[in-house]
Amino acid sequence: MNVVSRPDQALPADPDSGVVVDVLGAGKTYPDGTRALAPVHLAVSSREFVTLLGPSGCGKSTLLKMVAGLLAPSDGEVRLWREVQSAATQAPEAAGRKLAFVFQDATLMPWSRVRGNVRLPLDLAGVPRGDADRRVDDALALVGLQGFDRHYPRQLSGGMQMRASIARALVMEPNLLLLDEPFGALDEITRTRLDADILDLWWRRSLTVMFVTHSIYEAVFLSTRVVVMAARPGRVLREVLIDEPFPRSEAFRVSQKFLSCCKELSGLLAEAAASGGADPLAGAPT
Amino acid sequence: MQLIRTIHLAACAALLSLVSLPAAAQAPVKLTFATNWYAEAEHGGFYQAIAEGIYKKHGLDVTVKMGGPQVNGLQLLVANQIDLFMGYDIQSIKVLEQNLPVVTVATTFQKDPTVIVSHPGVKSLADLKGKPVAIGPASDTTFWPWLRSSFGFTDAQKRPYGFSVQPFLADKALSQQGYVTSEPFSIEKGGVKPVVFLLADQGYPPYAETIVVTRETLTKRRDAVKKFIQASAEGWKSYLANPAPGNALIKKDNPQMEDDLLAYGVRMLKQYGVVAGGDAGKQGLMTMTDARWKQTFDFMVKAGMVDAKVDYRKAYTLDLVKEVKVLP
Amino acid sequence: MSARNGRDHVLRVVAPLAIGVAVLLAWHIWVRMFDIPQYIVPSPLLVAQTLVADWDILSASLLITLKVTFLAFFSAVIVGTLVAFLFVQSRLIELSLFPYAVLLQVTPIVAIAPLIIIWVKNPDAALTLCATIVAIFPVISNTTIGLRSVDPGLLNLFRMNRATRAQILFRLRIPSALPYFFGGLRIASGLSLIGAVVAEFVAGTGGAAAGLAYQILIAGFQLNIPRLFAALILITAAGVILFLLMVWLSKLALGNWHESELTDRS
Repeated sequence: MNVVSRPDQALPADPDSGVVVDVLGAGKTYPDGTRALAPVHLAVSSREFVTLLGPSGCGKSTLLKMVAGLLAPSDGEVRLWREVQSAATQAPEAAGRKLAFVFQDATLMPWSRVRGNVRLPLDLAGVPRGDADRRVDDALALVGLQGFDRHYPRQLSGGMQMRASIARALVMEPNLLLLDEPFGALDEITRTRLDADILDLWWRRSLTVMFVTHSIYEAVFLSTRVVVMAARPGRVLREVLIDEPFPRSEAFRVSQKFLSCCKELSGLLAEAAASGGADPLAGAPT
Repeated sequence: MQLIRTIHLAACAALLSLVSLPAAAQAPVKLTFATNWYAEAEHGGFYQAIAEGIYKKHGLDVTVKMGGPQVNGLQLLVANQIDLFMGYDIQSIKVLEQNLPVVTVATTFQKDPTVIVSHPGVKSLADLKGKPVAIGPASDTTFWPWLRSSFGFTDAQKRPYGFSVQPFLADKALSQQGYVTSEPFSIEKGGVKPVVFLLADQGYPPYAETIVVTRETLTKRRDAVKKFIQASAEGWKSYLANPAPGNALIKKDNPQMEDDLLAYGVRMLKQYGVVAGGDAGKQGLMTMTDARWKQTFDFMVKAGMVDAKVDYRKAYTLDLVKEVKVLP
Repeated sequence: MSARNGRDHVLRVVAPLAIGVAVLLAWHIWVRMFDIPQYIVPSPLLVAQTLVADWDILSASLLITLKVTFLAFFSAVIVGTLVAFLFVQSRLIELSLFPYAVLLQVTPIVAIAPLIIIWVKNPDAALTLCATIVAIFPVISNTTIGLRSVDPGLLNLFRMNRATRAQILFRLRIPSALPYFFGGLRIASGLSLIGAVVAEFVAGTGGAAAGLAYQILIAGFQLNIPRLFAALILITAAGVILFLLMVWLSKLALGNWHESELTDRS
């Protein structure tokens, strides 16, 4: 069924695929003494869909940002494709080694149309306009926004803005996709649909995905592996494998396996909350 | 016989007391007089008349209100905020176009004290043709048109005048306007002995520091106005002889005023006969003549400053000055 | 919905116009009823007639005042924007110079205009300088705030994509700054006009050129109050037109995307 690991041991990476993300004892303590994240050991292999699940304050976003190179770890290091990742350098952009980050907010430029927004990474990299527009069309098609390229962000709903943001992430044809609670601001129905879309994308494009959420349901539905985290101090508790083959349908959501996974995760989170005096809402499925 | 004499005496005494009673019981007439600048030697006679109680002697209680750069005395006059105002005849003629009910009753200066000062080496005003001259905005409607028509000056020569002699001292080619009683003094203090051209001596016709009242005041309080002119004339006579009391009041109103500037001013007024020269010598201080007013009007018409159809004689009256005769 | 928008547009013009007409009528009636002489308060009809009668003189002066206004406005925008860029590039420069910018703003132009006239020989240049000083601060202040008010999420995005400093400046900071910049422009346009008028008032003009402030001064001396009012109205009209010009420019640049320009429709 599921393999529940012990806290001090990272699950062995799949030996057939390469390790894409290697978190080697990286932690974050701010200069004023705030301990955002205790040192973490984590390895993510190619084609995995790993979810970081935990309550507010558990350091999941911090961890993701360190992987992205947006934050420098104060202890340890992060390696991407075996190269050390730091805020100064970033993942080398050799073919097949690109990362993209999707923020909590759609973070679109309000003065630019959707096309301009999605094309931004290509423009910054100096890709010629013709090629860039082609890739933008592809990306928009992937997220289902074809026909909306001339709209301004304010003319789109929250869900559509998020799709545009994802399209922007995809336009650079990344292999590693990092998403930081991307659907948190959306309603249940939109979120369910987008969850399915992300899964579909991951599957078709053979991406490696790290996904941050505080929703147990989302974590179970999407991931191959869930990294359960707790707060005070921010740390990794356990890793839980979700042993359900892909593609996963909506039927999975109401299956027995799904519910028992959720219960297990829920229990872990509750236990952590009780012992650490964390947020009383931690572990409650959203 | 004795009884009739007594009754006669008593009757005379009673009559006398009756006559003198109104004069004593009458409160002094309050008058406000607005000048055209901060207190200076050019206003000396009026301050002297206050200092020496001359106004009081004539039954007047006069307050002198200082003018200044943004004060529009004429506006105050027509709004009845003041009773008398220190104006100038070019303005008085010009406002006839607006049918302003104001009239000039006397003048302080027989000559306009405006001067053009230049650096040494300039022989006459004609020499300044084409050279820069710093003049203030008000002068555009007074002596500048006269300089244009009399000496061929052009508007291209105008430079802004900020009531400071610094630019003049700094630039040898520059000339500037002034009053004969002050700017040359400041310039000499700055180390330059300027050449001074008194425009009046060059033929510039207007009076200066005229006394202007509304027609209503002239009709209803003619006597008070006449007394004001009389007392002011006496004040000026006294001031030119001994300016100390007037100067003390001037310094009280304008603490920035300096003694040496005051002394210089008085000296210049006397030297150029600004107050006591011309017609004043024969007809008394503060007098005016028809001939001079006509001259001013003709110059204004020639310079295009006023409509020729205006009846300039409505701007002034000689009736009061004819009754006042204070010889210098 | 569009019918209501249409009515809204009409109301927006008609309502203030109605107030204006009512005020003018009341003014006229008051002057006539109390027989107020024209040299105290002229009736609006007389002012209008004077505006027409004296149009040659007044329009020439209007052009001169406008010339100084536009020169000052452009100078303020160009110099102010450059200074704002400088401030954003270096915190040290900003800390050192910003207090002096504030000093410039609070010093009354009425006091320093005569000094500037003395130091700067050319009268036109002196007046333009005075007006520029009056108008420049809102440009500096607003543009600096705007260049700094960048969405941190977007900044992260740019950094993650390895954007160069120039790319961040042109693609992120400048567009982010535009709404603030235009806000500054609206204020600066009016101030340029005020600065031009005040400078001329205080310091006078040299040469043959005389702006509206001069006309007001002389009309005051001569108690030609109808002309004084007519000149004042021209200045006011110029100010309103300048403002509307800035609003239009603002709409052009921000119309599609900024909240300040959008009406309530989804």
